Amino acid sequence: MATDAGVLLAQATGIALQAHALSKRFGRKVALDAVDLTVPAGSVTALVGPNGAGKTTLIRVCMAFERPNGGMVEVDGVDPWKHRSEALRRVGYVPQTPAVYRGLDVDDHLAMARSLHSGFDAEYARKRLNQLGIPLDQRADTLSGGQAAQLGLAIALGTRAKVLLLDEPLANLDPLARREFIQVLIDAVKSDGSTALLSSHIVTDVEEACDRLVILGAGKVLLDCPLEEARQAHRLTDSKSPPPGGVAVGSFAGKGLTRLTLWRVPADAGDGAWAATEPASLEEVVLGYLAAGRGTTGLQLN
Amino acid sequence: MRARIILTFKQHRFETVAVTIVSVGLTVAALIEAYRLNSLNVPLSCLLSYHGDFVDPSQGPITAAQAHCNELAKSFFDTKQSLDMNLVQLLLLLVPLLAGIVVGAPLVAREIEQGTAPLSWGLSGSRRRWLLGKVLAGVLLLAPLMLAVGLAANVLEGALSPGLNPYASFSNYLGRGVIDVFWALAAFAGTFALGTLLGRTMPAVVVALVVCFFVRAAWDSGMGHFVLRSFAVPQVQQDQQNQQIGYVVYGPGGPAFADMTLYYKTFIDGKEVTDAQANAWYAQNMVCTPIPTPSDSTSPAEAGSPGASSSPGAPATPDYSNMGNGGIACQGPTIDPSHMPQQIPYVIPGSWYWQIVALESGILLLGSLFCGAIAFVWVDRRRPY
Repeated sequence: MATDAGVLLAQATGIALQAHALSKRFGRKVALDAVDLTVPAGSVTALVGPNGAGKTTLIRVCMAFERPNGGMVEVDGVDPWKHRSEALRRVGYVPQTPAVYRGLDVDDHLAMARSLHSGFDAEYARKRLNQLGIPLDQRADTLSGGQAAQLGLAIALGTRAKVLLLDEPLANLDPLARREFIQVLIDAVKSDGSTALLSSHIVTDVEEACDRLVILGAGKVLLDCPLEEARQAHRLTDSKSPPPGGVAVGSFAGKGLTRLTLWRVPADAGDGAWAATEPASLEEVVLGYLAAGRGTTGLQLN
Repeated sequence: MRARIILTFKQHRFETVAVTIVSVGLTVAALIEAYRLNSLNVPLSCLLSYHGDFVDPSQGPITAAQAHCNELAKSFFDTKQSLDMNLVQLLLLLVPLLAGIVVGAPLVAREIEQGTAPLSWGLSGSRRRWLLGKVLAGVLLLAPLMLAVGLAANVLEGALSPGLNPYASFSNYLGRGVIDVFWALAAFAGTFALGTLLGRTMPAVVVALVVCFFVRAAWDSGMGHFVLRSFAVPQVQQDQQNQQIGYVVYGPGGPAFADMTLYYKTFIDGKEVTDAQANAWYAQNMVCTPIPTPSDSTSPAEAGSPGASSSPGAPATPDYSNMGNGGIACQGPTIDPSHMPQQIPYVIPGSWYWQIVALESGILLLGSLFCGAIAFVWVDRRRPY
């Protein structure tokens, strides 16, 4: 009953995934520190952060692989820890490293997925793999890294899940394979109307695929906003003097020896706010927030 | 479920093929060894009268028929004690356990080691159903193969001990027959439970080998002490019946009974006595005198050899431990033997073979289910990495 209510609420509010005060510790190490997160339905959200930021832990909590120490998380209105089968029925998951069975061929993987997931659409997954020219009778352990990642994505898409959780699927791929993967993902999300949360520590990879950005650092959400807003609301200077109305976010090493400071500037700031600043790229926005997460704000610099 | 079972076989192709080849090979080897022994066509009487190279002058000259009979028996015992026969017998004992370990260890552990568990567990709402498919595959592989091995071991046991009905005897009964299936299943369940707990294949194999070794080594005495003891009956009641049915097993060590001897009780004039009381009786009634040399010792039966003591209804073996090192010879009392201490073996009669096999198989099955239950609980709680 609680699950049904949660699902209805999620559908009414258009929220595919949400976390509130979500915490996870491993011994003394805090992996997630009171994370608040909202992923709107139909969005492709980039979950960006350095290694050890908590990206994988967040996704694992959503997959019910890890039990949270506090707070709540809901996937399409379902708490994955309390109602695991219900939650996993709504989730397509691509693990961090391409997980393939060495002794099985590609088609065996689809057969296995079908035997495990009642709603698995093997034909759909097969079609996607055919489009990519991946032979179904090829042994999975002979696939290239890109092909193995595409197989993982095809399996996740074959579940026809409402929410796709992709845990750094691009990390081990070459640039061409990364581009292909992202193209397939964008195409699938658009055509299926699903929601994707794509974690990565490479900002340029997710820039073209995502419409929303979540920056995670040291287990905390440092920024959660639409991608366009992230670009427009931040400016960059090479000095410590703030633009009018601007709030320093963080300072980091720019190209050469210059030290750059990222400023958050309100949309209604006067013309003076823009005059002395440069527009920030998405990578610079991320760098600024990560620097802030480490406690190196512009005000603390020399 | 069918697809999942077939995929499990494919996934564990190496283990499946290896266990199948070894089991089928061993079955064939056991049947060949049995055929070798049976084809010698040695009459039981020759085995019974076999005297090796020893010739007893008091028995008179050996006839040609006796010599031939002795040769036949010798060839039988040579074959029985050959290296390949011993190897096959050893493998028949080990393979059910090893097969269970080999199939069970990677079932869950390898998925965790190779990082495929998150993929499967992310797809399956119920990890227990996922595990059930894999376990069923293991059971379907092991059960028929181990049944074949066990039945071949029964055929070999029959050939090794002519006159023995393998299905009505406890001779080597834990290493042959239907119980082989349950040994394999117990090893399988224990090992996949260890694999689920540890999440690593090799550590699971090593721990399983150690556990299986100790369980197997302790099984005989443990079962005899804790379970079967209460079923034991005095052999004297069964002996006559056994002899009539022909349960006697012949071997180089002399005749042995198909019954499983669990313990002995000593009686004097129908009243049960302790070993100390029996020894006290002998101290009072035996006549001991010093003898010149230790080599002039008494016969094995008088000296209390195991063969003598195992004979039902035989006088209890006196404790000579405080009588020096062969410097004293004792003579039995000159009273009516029916008043002497009688040592009665308490046994499980060979005719109870199926009941005892069913009981011990049931215990092994319960152990398997217990280990399986641990794995099924833990797989639901553990991390997939």
